[in-house]
Formats: sequence, C-alpha cells, structure tokens
Amino acid sequence: MSALLKRWSFWSLLALVFIAIFGNRFFAAPPEAEVAASFSKPLWLDRSLPPTREITLTPEEPSVTLEWAYPPPAAFSLRTDLPESAAGLSVVWRRPDGSELTLAPLKKGLEVDGRDMAFKRALGLTPFGDAAGALFPGSGRYEVSVKGEGPWKGSVKIRLEGGRWGLLGTDQRGRDIAALFVAGVRVSLLVGIFATLIATFLGTSVGLLAGYAGGWTDSLLMRLVDLLLSIPLLPVLMALAAFWGKGLWQLILILSVFSWMGTARTIRALTLTLRDVPYIEGLRGLGAPSGYILRRHLLPETLPVLLATMTLGVPGAILSEAGLSFLGLSDPRVISWGRMLHEAQSFGAFTSGAWWMLLPPGLGIAFLCLIFLDLGKFLEERADPRLLSGGKP
Amino acid sequence: MISVEKLSITYKRQSARERGSVKALREVSLSVEKGQIAALAGESGSGKSSLLMAIPGLLPPGTEVTGRILLDGTDLLTLSEEELNRLRWRKIALIPQGAMNSFTPVLTVGRHVEEVLSVHLGLTGRAAAERIDSLFTLAGLEGTLAGRYPHELSGGQKQRAAIALALACDPDYLLCDEPTTALDVITQKGVMDTLKRLAEEKGLGLLLVSHDLPLAASVASRIFILKDGLLVEEGTPRDLITNPQSVHTAALVNALLELEEES
Amino acid sequence: MLAAVLVLNFLLFRMMPGDPVASIIDPNFSPEAKAALSRMYGLDKSLPVQFLLYVKSTLTFDFGISFLTGRPVLDELRSRLPNTVFLLGTSLLISSFLGTWLGMAAALRRGSLLEKGVLWSGAVSFSFPSFFVQLLLLMAFASALPLFPLRGTLSVPPPPGGWALAGDYLWHMALPVFSLSLLGFGGWALYVRNLMVKILGEDFILLARARGLPRKNIVWRHAFRTLLPPLLTIFLLSLPGIVSGAVITETVFSLHGVGRFLLEAVTGHDYPAAGASFFLLALLTIGANLLSDLLYGITDPRVRLDRGGRG
Ligand SMILES: Nc1ncnc2c1ncn2[C@@H]1O[C@H](COP(=O)(O)OP(=O)(O)OP(=O)(O)O)[C@@H](O)[C@H]1O
Ligand SMILES: [Mg+2]
Repeated sequence: MSALLKRWSFWSLLALVFIAIFGNRFFAAPPEAEVAASFSKPLWLDRSLPPTREITLTPEEPSVTLEWAYPPPAAFSLRTDLPESAAGLSVVWRRPDGSELTLAPLKKGLEVDGRDMAFKRALGLTPFGDAAGALFPGSGRYEVSVKGEGPWKGSVKIRLEGGRWGLLGTDQRGRDIAALFVAGVRVSLLVGIFATLIATFLGTSVGLLAGYAGGWTDSLLMRLVDLLLSIPLLPVLMALAAFWGKGLWQLILILSVFSWMGTARTIRALTLTLRDVPYIEGLRGLGAPSGYILRRHLLPETLPVLLATMTLGVPGAILSEAGLSFLGLSDPRVISWGRMLHEAQSFGAFTSGAWWMLLPPGLGIAFLCLIFLDLGKFLEERADPRLLSGGKP
Repeated sequence: MISVEKLSITYKRQSARERGSVKALREVSLSVEKGQIAALAGESGSGKSSLLMAIPGLLPPGTEVTGRILLDGTDLLTLSEEELNRLRWRKIALIPQGAMNSFTPVLTVGRHVEEVLSVHLGLTGRAAAERIDSLFTLAGLEGTLAGRYPHELSGGQKQRAAIALALACDPDYLLCDEPTTALDVITQKGVMDTLKRLAEEKGLGLLLVSHDLPLAASVASRIFILKDGLLVEEGTPRDLITNPQSVHTAALVNALLELEEES
Repeated sequence: MLAAVLVLNFLLFRMMPGDPVASIIDPNFSPEAKAALSRMYGLDKSLPVQFLLYVKSTLTFDFGISFLTGRPVLDELRSRLPNTVFLLGTSLLISSFLGTWLGMAAALRRGSLLEKGVLWSGAVSFSFPSFFVQLLLLMAFASALPLFPLRGTLSVPPPPGGWALAGDYLWHMALPVFSLSLLGFGGWALYVRNLMVKILGEDFILLARARGLPRKNIVWRHAFRTLLPPLLTIFLLSLPGIVSGAVITETVFSLHGVGRFLLEAVTGHDYPAAGASFFLLALLTIGANLLSDLLYGITDPRVRLDRGGRG
C-alpha cells in the first residue's frame, strides 16, 4: 500500500478525479457558455493583444478610466440594465486627446454592438468603418462615464472583446477551453473506467467458464475470442455508434462488448493452471459445486491479475472513445476530449494556428492513459513478482 | 593445465526490490590436467556451476570475480571477449547442466555442430557432414538425428547431442555440469564410459561436476568437495572414503556406503 | 473466419434499428415507389432469404448502389482501395522493419540512451491518440511550415505525366505514411525489445557464447531466428489495430481511401456502402492474417508438426 502512495500516477489520478467531480465549480459559467470571442488566445500568450474586459457603470460609480496600451479590441458592445429610461443622460467616451464621443443615451433595454450600422452612423463613421478602431485610436488613458443631469438607477455594461481569454483561450464558438477541458476529464474517466469494468466482468465470466468447463464450451468460446481479436475494432464501433446510438452509456456498452477478449484469455489461462492445483481438485472430489469453487476459490486467486489487466485496459477504452468522438460519432451535446479535437479539426484550428484548441485535450488523453499504464504496471508487478527481476517494463 | 587459484565469485543482485550480493565461491583453488578426470562434488547451491561457468568467462555481467584462472599459463580473467572467443570450444568446451535448454530451439542439432565446425575449424560441406556423422556415432547417436530440432529429441538424446557438440573441435578440456543426471542408470554408465575413454584416448582433461559421489569416485582420479562456496575436501577417491577430512564428507560417505549395502 | 465476418457484417449493417430505406427516401414518395425501392435492395424478403442473397452478392463483390452517391459501391471502392493498401502496406513495412531494428538494438545495449528512447516511444504510442499526433504533425509540417499538403491524395488538378503524378502522390502520402509508421513502430519496438531481452537471457544464448561464436552469429542466427515466430504473432495481433489506424489517418489527412469512405457511409446511413467497406477492411485483415499464419509455420519448427486449429 505504501508503495502505491509513492507512485506519481496514483496522486495524479486522485487529482483528476477531484477535478472531474468539483472542477466545474471553479468556473463562473457552464462549459457550454460562450464567454469571449471565438479563437481567443490564452491570456498569458500574446501580451500585445488586449484581454477581454467588462466595465460596469452604476450611479455610485458613474465613470471608469482605463489604461490602454494595445491595438483596438476585437469587438465592442454596450448593454443597459435599467428599471426605466433616464432622459437627459448618456454614456460618453473620452479619448486620450480629450475629444469626446457620445455612445448611447440611457434608454431602458438598450443593446448596442460595435457592428451596428446605427451605432457607426452615430459615431460619424461610414457603414464599413471600424467602430472599435475609432474608439481606440491609440494608447493612453480613456474614460467612459454617464454624463448629464438627473438621477438614474440600474447599471450600464460595456464589454471590450479582446483576443485573449482565460487560462487556455476559447474555441470556435467562444467557449472557454479550460472549462471544456475540465468537463472532458469526467467523460474520459467515466468511459475508461466503466467500459473496462463491464469488459472485465464479461471477460472474467467467459475466461472462468472456458477454463473451468473445458471441452467444447472452451473451444467454442476461444474461437469467438480469436475471431473478435482479428477483426478491426474501430470500423465495428463506428457502425454501431452510428446506427445504434451515440449516447454516452451506449458508447460505454459498445466499447465494453468489444474489448473483453484479452481479459478472457488471461483469466482462462490462469484458471487452467489453477484448476489442477491439488486443493481445488480436492474440493471437486469432495463434491463442492462448480459455482462455489469458481466464486470462492478461483475468483479470489485470479483477482490480483484481474486488477492489473483491468487497469491496463482503461487506456484502450479511453483511446477508443476519443477516436470515435474524433470521427464525429459521439453525441455532440456531450463534451469530451475527443469531441474537442473533432471540432478543432473540422473548424480549422490549424489554419488559424489555434494550437491551444489542440494541445489540452490531446495531452489530457495521453496523460490519463499514462497514469493508467503506470498504475497497471505497478499492479502487474504486484500480481506477478517474476516481472520485477525481468528488466524494467 | 587449467588451474584455478583463489577464485572468489560474488553475484550482484540488482532487481527493483532487493539489492545485495551472494558470495557463491570463496577462495577456491583446484586444477585439472590433460588426460585427467577431476570431479567436483557438493550439495545443491554450493557453487559448482558458478565455478564451472567462471572458467570460460560466462558469468553474468557485473559479477565480481577475483583470483586467477590459468589455462596453460595465461590468466583467462584478464582476456577480452574476442581473445576468449578464440579459446572457447577450441580449447575449452562445455556440457551444461541439464542440456534441455542449451540448444537454440529453431535450429537443428546438426546445424549447431556445423556452425562451430565452420567458425572454428573452417570445415564446411562434405567434410563437415562427415565429421558430424562421426561425432554423433562417437556420442552414441544415430547420424540421422542431426536433422532433428531440439524439441524432437528425448532428454538423453539431447544430452548425447550436447556431448557430440562439445567434442566437435577436439577441445583440450571439457567441463561437464552433471552430464548424466537426466539419464537412467544404464545410459548414465554408457555416457560416463564414453567420457572416460575420451580422456584416456585423446588426452582430454575433464572437469566433472556431479552430485553423485559414487559415480564420480568410479571415474575420477581426483575429487574436490565444495560446501557453501568453500573447498572443504580434496584428494583421490580412496583418500576420501577411507579418511574423510570434514564431518560433512564423512556423513556423505557413510550415507553412500549404507545405500550401497542395501542394494 | 470469412463466414463469421459475413455474419457480423450482415448483423451490423442490415439488422440495425431503423428502416434503411426510410433513411434515404423522401416521405413524399408513394407507397409503390417505397416498395419498389425495398424490392431493389431485397428488403421485402424474409431475413434468412435476405441473408442468403446478401452472402451471394457479397461474395461476388456485387455491393449494390450507394444510397448517397447513387453510383455502384464497387466502383467507389475500386478507386479507393489502392490508396488504403498503399498506406497500410508501406507504413506496416516501415514500422515493422524500423521497430524490429531499434527494438533489437535497444535489447543489445541495455541501459543505453537508445533503450530509454525505445521504452519512451513505446509508452507514447500506447497513450497518445493517433489522430492527435497526426493533427500536431499537420499543424507543424503542413500549416506552420508548409512543406506538405494539408489534405488529399493528389493535387487538384493532378499534374500531368507519369513521374510528376507519382511524385505528387508520394508527396501527399508522405505525412500520412510517416505518421502511421511512427505510431505503429513505438509499440512494435517495445515488444521486440522485451522479447529480445527475454531471449538474450535464455540459456541457449549463453551456450552459444560458450561456443566462442562471433557476436554476429549469436545475434542473427540464434537470437533473431528465435525472435521471428513470436514477432509474427504480434504482427498478426496488431493488424486489426493498424487497419483501425488507417481509418483515422485517412480522415485526418482527407485521403481518398476505404476508411474515410466507411466514415462517410456510416454517418450518412449509407448501408450498402458502409457494409461493403467494412467487408473490404475485414478482408484485408484476414488476408494479412493468413499470410502471417503461413510465415509462422515456416519460421517455427515447433509448430510445423503439431499445428492444431488456429486462426
Ligand atoms: N545469476 C545468479 N545471480 C545471483 N545468484 C546466483 C546466480 N547464479 C547462482 N547464484 C547463487 O550462487 C550460489 C551457487 O550457485 P550454483 O549454481 O553455483 O550452485 P550449484 O552448486 O551448481 O548447485 P546445483 O547442484 O543445484 O546445480 C547459489 O546460492 C545461487 O543462489
Ligand atoms: Mg549447478
């Protein structure tokens, strides 16, 4: 047990499970929400680009100044959130040279976007002019404030869409990649663990049955195993996923139905060697029912090996799920790492050079698989000490 | 003459779990001359095989070996792998313990002999085939068996094939690690007689490892007894039986004598 | 084996929920037109009869008309098969040769940098999704550094003339083949290295050394010859995986191949096309399987005599 505590993979797995369960609480918005301009770079990446900013003006704080040292933002929008319109008041923009522009009156339920014609005309621009560019002619100190006579209630929100957002940027729909990444942990873990659990259950049953029963049952089952092992898995999965259903649980079921063969082989071989061990033979001689022997004696004996093969099987399931999702054969509403890569590819993440869409899900999958491989190797060495002396892996 | 002087062998174990060393041999000295049969006896784990494998330099890498192993004056421990390769099989051949796994499974036994003949003696084609035939006859095997794969031979046949292979290049010395354990009593006797005849006729020096003290005593002119890596006894078979030096040998001899009387 | 594939194929592509015809025809079709279509695809008969008809047509490579393109499926496949075979064949060759060589070198130099590299590349190929690595390669060598084309099997329009055409083809296939070999070879090298380490620890190798044989003989005649049969087993076991890899590779690089055709057919519910491409991929695996089974028999004397039912 203490040896397990020294494995990096154990702690990493714990951390990922934690993230899978609680991760999304650290984000203000749900992962599906559009939070910023599409293809925004990560905040730390290109410091010459402006970050996304949100400015709120209230009666208590009617004016905000901002230091600007960037090119103009990607987009500009303004929204009023007022109980009632206030006549005689308007939002005023002051540029570093002191010149002022009136952005909008304080009207109830107003939504203005930098791309609106009316807005451009109000600023004295042509319909093809660049509002954000006009508002931000250069670097310096800007001020935005509510000016005029009279009381008002509520708030005015101004949003300056930068080219940078969050820890990992945004995807083609402006969703936060960090939030998507965290949501993807859950799917990968779920699929990996449940698919192998079911597959292990199937494989163990078949292996125990074949090994213990022998005879034609055995040869029939092993023929089936040989057969399934020599058919390319992905095309079968593709067909099933496409025609049968794309839901997460359906996917898990499909994956497990086609990945129990290795376990069955291992367990069968083990059962064969154990079956002829004297004490098992003795039990049979005493008339113990087969089911009892299987459950009480053979199963516990095979357990350590089982645990190891199970853990080593998880990466296969994770990769298969990722592959199917990448091919676009998963439920589009379920956010998974494979799906993220699928979207990255279909929306041209590379032509726009958006590598931040590619790396997090890809490395996430790889990291998760490495964790399970390392844990599996650890369990395997436990189950079979011979492996220890026989060289490293 | 092969003479081993103050040979110590320490195996280093470096698995993931344990790190430590096993002293398999401590300052053992012994010698074999051409035409002489020397026997090395001792209980399991006493270091017999280790000593034997040390002579042609076949201990696992990293094993600590001190002392000297002189072959006609040159210290084998100081030679490089290439220099050793020139002596191996031409001067010193080896019959391993349990010949079971000593043949490459995908090559016929004849191919094994052919290979050493071509590498060491430059014999190929007809000449090699004839020699293989005569070697097999010498070892008491039919020549047709040369075309068989190792797994197609019985244990005894494999043992004899190992003898044929060992004699292929007319070595000066033959190291045998329990050449007869896998065999029945009659075959055992046959193999021993063959070895003994070779020693007498060809002047082969034979170092014979055996558990079987009576068998060793019947052919050897000198007997060395190892216990826990130490040489505890040495002398002619007669010395040993009439005047055992250590309690251990005495017990061994007594047990043997009792067995003899019973049968 | 073939029979089993046929059954599986039938189950997968004919007995799926949902009426296959319903997915292609307009709801406005008259019932007569529907029935005619059903008859055309043989869907009005009972299941066993359907199955027999299906077996007959599959074995004669008469796959019917694609729902999507309206062209005979066989024609579609015939234009794609060479690409898939080329992709699979070359990457299989490259990865197995390179992998064997590196794996053996690693086993012969335990503890060297090379061995560590092989161990790592093994771990990488078992944990990195193939398409991810390929996407990275695409981004690096086709997008950021435009050395290779981003997509396709040939330029549009294809260059004239034999050599130019061949060169263009190779230029398009370079990255897919390279990436598929890269992904195959890591695991392969690791297997070879592990097997070789085990073999080098066997008694018969020690004995070969005792016989004063040159290193070359020991490595090639004794160790490598012994390695060959289990190597072929692995080869056999890795084939289905490589075919799966080809499907993904063709998709990533938008190649004109059977795998991508399968994907398009499957997403478009084009049953005849999907069934036929699956059948073809399975056939490829079976063929390669038989071949390596045959080789296994030749390389291992132990199975030559007592070879029971296998494969
Ligand atoms: N490769 C090795 N690594 C570590 N220890 C070893 C190795 N080979 C042998 N030993 C140890 O060295 C000691 C001597 O072993 P050796 O094989 O020489 O005994 P032996 O006298 O030949 O026994 P037996 O009669 O059973 O063959 C034993 O304690 C054994 O455990
Ligand atoms: Mg021994």
